[in-house]
Amino acid sequence: MDVKNAITRARRGLREERRLYIVAVTSLAVAFICLGATLLGVTNLDAAATRWGQSGRITLFLKDDADPQDIAQLRVVLEGLGDVNEVTHVTPTEARESFLEEADVGADLSGLPSEVFPASLEVTLVQGVTRERSESIATRLAQFRAVSDVESYGIWFQKLDQLLWGARMLALGLALLVMFCVVAVIGNTIRLAVARRRQEIEVMKLCGATNGFVRGPFVLEGMFQGFASALLAVLALLAGYLALHESVDSTLAALTGSRVVFLGAWTLVALLAGGAAIGAIGSAVSVRRYLSV
Amino acid sequence: MQGTKVVRPFPFFRAGARASQPQLSKPILVLEDVYKFFRPDQPTLRGVDLSVERGEFVFITGSSGAGKSTLLKLVYRELRVDEGRVLFCGRDIARLTDKSIPFLRRNLGIVFQDFRIIDHWTVFENVAVALEIVSMPQRLIRSRVAEALERVGLAGQGPEQTSNLSGGEKQRVAVARAIVPEPALILADEPTGNLDPHLAIDILTLFEEINSTGTTVLFATHDHSLISKRDHRLISIDEGRVSEAQQGLKHWQGSSGIHTLVG
Ligand SMILES: Nc1ncnc2c1ncn2[C@@H]1O[C@H](COP(=O)(O)OP(=O)(O)OP(=O)(O)O)[C@@H](O)[C@H]1O
Ligand SMILES: [Mg+2]
Repeated sequence: MDVKNAITRARRGLREERRLYIVAVTSLAVAFICLGATLLGVTNLDAAATRWGQSGRITLFLKDDADPQDIAQLRVVLEGLGDVNEVTHVTPTEARESFLEEADVGADLSGLPSEVFPASLEVTLVQGVTRERSESIATRLAQFRAVSDVESYGIWFQKLDQLLWGARMLALGLALLVMFCVVAVIGNTIRLAVARRRQEIEVMKLCGATNGFVRGPFVLEGMFQGFASALLAVLALLAGYLALHESVDSTLAALTGSRVVFLGAWTLVALLAGGAAIGAIGSAVSVRRYLSV
Repeated sequence: MQGTKVVRPFPFFRAGARASQPQLSKPILVLEDVYKFFRPDQPTLRGVDLSVERGEFVFITGSSGAGKSTLLKLVYRELRVDEGRVLFCGRDIARLTDKSIPFLRRNLGIVFQDFRIIDHWTVFENVAVALEIVSMPQRLIRSRVAEALERVGLAGQGPEQTSNLSGGEKQRVAVARAIVPEPALILADEPTGNLDPHLAIDILTLFEEINSTGTTVLFATHDHSLISKRDHRLISIDEGRVSEAQQGLKHWQGSSGIHTLVG
């Protein structure tokens, strides 16, 4: 196939059908924005989950009447474990102070006595400890006499995982829907373009143009539309991100300790390349169906 | 020539390929016992035998609906024969695969009554398309289109918008497009049908000039005033059969007169 000629013809086609194509690209960009926004959500959830997952923590709540010697022994055992990075002893007084400092619930809680806060050992695990490992450590530590309760935050990770799974499925569903939309919308605009250029197509065929020569420009035009729609959506999302991320960041940082991130480089590449590829497929299908060359 | 992956049973139809010496001495176009049916009981062409030598100028005539266009369509493979053979340069084009049809058409120049030029393209673009489809370099296209436009009397009018041209000029653009790839055979299907009598003569003369450089021309028309002005070989289609006046209409030997012959 003569690519250079196909590009020249496709450019002429884009110029001539500009109105038709602008409508198609705009509506597809909206579809891509929905997909991109969902992917943005997944990316951020994923980043948060990774960060929390890596900073593994176990809290050992100690019995009020725990023997200080048992506690000391427990510390020795913990510090001997390869997975443990740091162990901090939090007394009820310290727990009360840090609670009053962090909890901004509006009500005056300064009257709370320190007895309601149990003493605890805050165990920070080393980077890269899996959740299964941290669960099994927690189960074993629960056997110790001084320990009243163990919190390994497993339930939170489970919830986060579920949320992440749901978001991923939503993104996948949307991706399929967008794919369908792109194929349908581009297929349709190409069908119209083929109808409008019937005469030219006939002339080229009479002169001895091959099927590839006739179809090439249409496939390129569809490819361009898919790419342009995805690019438009990415630019819109980026503009939205740049405008909002600072204000969202401070709120999110207070809530979860993480910041908003934009779509990763590979996601962007996949969106743009995917847009182009599906656009090309949509027009190729359409051209095959409506261009009986 | 590009796209070498295409299956081509007849290498001759590749652009740039030249016919061998024995092929050059054979007739360029032969129809052998050709049948074409649009309705099972009534063939449009029945047992047509026809042989056209290289460099000939042939009128094809017959009343409306006689099958002139059908005959030409069989040659450029818009239609396929139902029975018989159509030999172009010795090859049976009825057996060509769909993929080979473009390579057959690159050896043909086709002109129609309704011009079939693209109004929103310039004159240059309308002619250049016949070379662009074979991926010829732009520089070469420019010089060859200029040459073709000169031959049809439109020298220097390449940049003009085709929609501004008159009917006669549009047909000249179409002729330029047909001759620019230097085809072996020109098929003209009533090229003067939409033109005034004096313009019709001009276009006929143009085809004769092209013929004088060695290109074979099949000129279908039912305009007997045009036919009677010239002394070319004349083939008439009547009720699906061809009859022939070798020396032109003036020397017609058959029992029927001119008026029944050309309708
Ligand atoms: N695609 C087709 N389907 C059915 N019948 C057809 C088709 N093409 C041609 N015919 C019939 O074949 C006959 C010959 O048609 P053709 O167009 O070859 O005539 P023609 O000699 O070119 O006539 P004209 O001088 O009016 O152009 C006509 O009766 C026409 O109705
Ligand atoms: Mg006709």
